[in-house]
Amino acid sequence: MSIVGDKNDIQQLIAAGQESLAKGRLPAGLVANAEVHKLEAQRVFGTCWQFLAHETEVPEAGDYVVRYLGGGSIIVVRGEDGEVRAMANSCRHRGTQLCRTEMGNTSHFRCPYHGWTYRNTGTLAGVPAQKEVYGVEMDKNEWSLTQVPRLENYGGLIFGCLDEKAAPLVDYLGDMAWYLDLITKKTQGGLEVRGEPQRWIIDSNWKLGADNFVGDAYHTLMTHRSAVELGLAPPDPKFASQPAHISLSNGHGLGVLGVPPGQPMPPFMNYPREVVDGLAEAYGDQDHADMLQGTAFIHGTIFPNLSFLNVLIGKDNKSMPVPMLTFRLWRPLSHDAMEVWSWFLVEKDADEEFKQQSYETYVRTFGISGVFEQDDAETWRSITAGTQGLLAGSQMLNFEMGMGVLTSDDTWKGPGRPLSSGYAERNQREFWGRLLELLTDTGDDASETGPQLRAQPLTGADEVA
Amino acid sequence: MVATVEQQILLRSEMENFLFQEAELLNDGRFHDWLELCAEDIRYIIPVRMSRERANGDGNSTTMTHWDDDYAGLQLRVLRLDTEYAWAEDPPSRIRHHVSNVRVQPGTGTDEYDVRSNLLVFRNRGDSPQHDLISAERHDVIRRSEMGLRLASRRVVEVVPVFVEFEVAVPHLMPARW
Repeated sequence: MSIVGDKNDIQQLIAAGQESLAKGRLPAGLVANAEVHKLEAQRVFGTCWQFLAHETEVPEAGDYVVRYLGGGSIIVVRGEDGEVRAMANSCRHRGTQLCRTEMGNTSHFRCPYHGWTYRNTGTLAGVPAQKEVYGVEMDKNEWSLTQVPRLENYGGLIFGCLDEKAAPLVDYLGDMAWYLDLITKKTQGGLEVRGEPQRWIIDSNWKLGADNFVGDAYHTLMTHRSAVELGLAPPDPKFASQPAHISLSNGHGLGVLGVPPGQPMPPFMNYPREVVDGLAEAYGDQDHADMLQGTAFIHGTIFPNLSFLNVLIGKDNKSMPVPMLTFRLWRPLSHDAMEVWSWFLVEKDADEEFKQQSYETYVRTFGISGVFEQDDAETWRSITAGTQGLLAGSQMLNFEMGMGVLTSDDTWKGPGRPLSSGYAERNQREFWGRLLELLTDTGDDASETGPQLRAQPLTGADEVA
Repeated sequence: MVATVEQQILLRSEMENFLFQEAELLNDGRFHDWLELCAEDIRYIIPVRMSRERANGDGNSTTMTHWDDDYAGLQLRVLRLDTEYAWAEDPPSRIRHHVSNVRVQPGTGTDEYDVRSNLLVFRNRGDSPQHDLISAERHDVIRRSEMGLRLASRRVVEVVPVFVEFEVAVPHLMPARW
């Protein structure tokens, strides 16, 4: 149930939200709102770069996976020429889906309706009875599958954008690229996706997953308290509060949390010796290697809806902790439901034993049935329900953590704006701020110039002078 | 030696009783007792299921699972429910496992049987009138030991590619969401 009525109401609420965020407050009625959902479809998901697939999911010519962009089905396919392309899963004749399964390998896409056939590069190769009924003059070049206008690859991650005029991906990512390197370039060979993504639907708004991963280390103690009691996470209440919480541009943010002093955690997130020995060479510099040395875990969100978690953790209370890496896509379905896609990635060059251990750790902790993951979903569902209604929907939520209290971490060696505690909410404020900026009628008009890249924080200075 | 019809019926009845007893323990929330029915070398797997063309097989992944536990993993989940902080299943779901179509074949190990069964799980939680209804098939190895029948391995197949409702669909195929 939405608390707002007509279009003016929602713009007023958005404006109120932008104003209140500067003071660290968010109107609860914006969290899981049907009007916001409608606006997001075009103004966020029609304009921003979004993750489609990892290049290792389509390794050979003809490999394809079916994903989603802008509310529609998209084929991501490696052509015979070796190039990866993304195009609407929709025949140009009547719009029939060409791929009616999730993945496969094919040299040509053939429509089951009338047999129009496309090469796996997307060009129209054949039309039955063309000469007789369409004529030899039919220009098949005009009828290729509709390409996603912008498709770029960073570190193996393939992103698409429906806005032709969007800035290049690397500019959109800004300093997030440096941190993506930290996660993806530990070895020369880079990462591979193992297995297929898990997919599941939660009755929660998509933003709650993105908000959690962008900056919430604070929840680890209470949400995952059962894991603490089982010895899977340290009992120290401040365990996850080590620096730093790092704010970036365009609504992106992450936490690279250090090992607490005196905590007996292995350096370099316990990656295998062969990986650790080659880090500086793989990264191409010493700074990334030095940062990884003292890191306990890394969580982050690339605006709008791609998150990641790289964490050293035990699969049960008897096993050695093993590092694992997952990427998450929070696909919006409605104002109160999302589909979660979860990938497991691991270094291609690592040995099989390590890959197996990392996989088991992932599935048991943060996969769909993960002992940590389950409880996160429970709180997000609960927020989606808990912000509905006239009363709860009218309240202001507290996003003030750290304002006027936390200071910048001047010892931080990476880019971005780091705060000297992992317990902070600036990334969350900037995530919501960026969202509201895109949604507002008076802000960037995506249909004319494309949303402007946002490098400065939206929510006002919140550091102690 | 080919089993007589009487022997086959008795065997199937014995395996059904085991599966019905297992289901009762899960539905009643007696997870420690349920764990006792698991062999210590158990592997409990639910492969990810993809939508594939007929020609490309049944879509059960060989490289990714929704659930992949050994005994320690299952035990962890039981212990988790003992804490006061397993939010996902506190309040608990109301679950009913309906087990049917039990088919028994001799297994590869001595005193082991390959047992297939259909499962329909009804689940409801909180004050929502909505429910999940999940259908699956289990491929089990049930082993005869001195202490009685034990579940030596389970592979849950024929599930759907995208799980719906809460995040729990998966764990209902066996123990409640843990």
